[in-house]
Amino acid sequence: MSTGGHNRATTAGRLSVLVGALSVPAFVGVWELIARSRIVNAVLFPPPSTVAVAVLDWIHSGQFFGDLWASLFRVTVGFLIGTTGGIMLGMLTGRFRLVSSLLSPLFHILRPIPPIAFVPIVILWFGLSEAGKLFLVVWGVFFTVWLATHIGVQKVDRGLVRAALMLGTPRRQMLSEIILLGALPYIVVGLRTAVSISFYTLVAAELAGAFAGIVYRIEIAQQNMQTGQVMGGLAALGLLSFVADRSFAAIAERAVWWR
Amino acid sequence: MVAMMHNPLRPTSPLRLVDAPPEPSSAVPEATIRVENLSIVFDVPRGQVIAVDRVSLAVMPGEFVSLVGPSGCGKSTLLNAMAGLERPFEGEVMVAGKPMLAPRPDIGMVFQQPHLFPWKSVRRNIAHGPRALGKSRTEALRIADDLIDMIGLTKFASAYPHTLSGGMQQRVAIARALANQPRVLLMDEPFGALDAQTRAVMQDNLLELRDRINATIVFVTHDIDEAILLSDRVLIMSAGPGRILRDLSAGLPRPRSSAILTDPAYLALKRDCLDLIRTEGRKAFEQMETVT
Repeated sequence: MSTGGHNRATTAGRLSVLVGALSVPAFVGVWELIARSRIVNAVLFPPPSTVAVAVLDWIHSGQFFGDLWASLFRVTVGFLIGTTGGIMLGMLTGRFRLVSSLLSPLFHILRPIPPIAFVPIVILWFGLSEAGKLFLVVWGVFFTVWLATHIGVQKVDRGLVRAALMLGTPRRQMLSEIILLGALPYIVVGLRTAVSISFYTLVAAELAGAFAGIVYRIEIAQQNMQTGQVMGGLAALGLLSFVADRSFAAIAERAVWWR
Repeated sequence: MVAMMHNPLRPTSPLRLVDAPPEPSSAVPEATIRVENLSIVFDVPRGQVIAVDRVSLAVMPGEFVSLVGPSGCGKSTLLNAMAGLERPFEGEVMVAGKPMLAPRPDIGMVFQQPHLFPWKSVRRNIAHGPRALGKSRTEALRIADDLIDMIGLTKFASAYPHTLSGGMQQRVAIARALANQPRVLLMDEPFGALDAQTRAVMQDNLLELRDRINATIVFVTHDIDEAILLSDRVLIMSAGPGRILRDLSAGLPRPRSSAILTDPAYLALKRDCLDLIRTEGRKAFEQMETVT
């Protein structure tokens, strides 16, 4: 390869890194300019500086961390319960035909119903309690993880199972090691999808009525015409789910450690 | 005989073609493996297929027996029945005097694919069996380390399977099967997926290994050279439904090397075997027998 070509490649690489670093600041700058230019209504479309002030106020008022905690709690606990249930039932339906015949038709009927559609009945069942919000997140996460695990278990290399059988592997170890780890690459994909689903359902859960939470704060701000606060809330939610997705991706890469 | 051990190239090697039907197994009660009138039937969309048809055979303690036949002749099914992975439709399989109804840890198996646990290192793969049978971690790892030395993979003890070549993986699979010190070692075309050079090395390794372990070995292959080189006895199976067609005592001296492959007597035997297999293969191709 010629040095010229090499240099050109490096220059192009540097340029794209530079442009990438400028992407978000440029967007914020253009937004600020447009919002201040009076082309648009600044009350409905506040500039980033107003949003930043609103976010600082939110933090200073002490409500921010309460809201963050409330939302994080719902997402995390709901995710953990839903995925644990999904993995356990997926192992059972994937491995035991009878359990699958019993549960799979039911799950396949319930799975396509968007979790948000359950908000009205959840309010009737749980009122505005925390349990109702957890229920929605659990419900949203469960089916995805169940299906991923179910398929993963069925795709476990039969040769591995036979080899394990020939070595005298006890039934419990067969399920907890050979089947679970054999299905792990599929399960991890299901879990990653479940991370974003848990945020979708969190929005539905908090809009349905809550006393704290990031989406709840967005809704209150909307009712008071505090558009800066609304956008600040959106930014916080975006950042939160971005961090969650990225950290899960990093964990997922290490979860299948033998690759 | 003794003199010949030093020169396996001598053309006088007593290769015999014993054309005898399988003997009634009651005559050999001390056999390690006894298959009696075994039939195995598979369900297919339109009826049933007989994979193994009334097979009887006996394998004596310490013997190395190869099952050879055209693909689809039921030789792997027969081996799976000896492993307890396939239930008899009729007849029975006895190993060490007990009927085979499920896999047993005193019977080891090596498959065509290594089927190593991808999440375990070489060492832990080999230690899996002893651990599953309740041995302590230290004990299991000591067994594994001994076997790793034996298969010459000491440098790769903590490597993961996907980093190893096919031949190395298969050596680990053999070591893993030996870790439970099985009475019987079943091998289902273990070198079938390897290239010719690796295969030759693996065959030599197996010959060496055989003298160091006490297992009775049943070896499935479609490679007649491999069968004659490795075994004490070669059973040739007919096209499906699988039956034992010939029982050939190779009668070659041990220790052996691949040098016998050019021995004229060996070549004559091989020609007979190949003719037999070719006829059978053609039959298998022409008849797709289903029974409803």
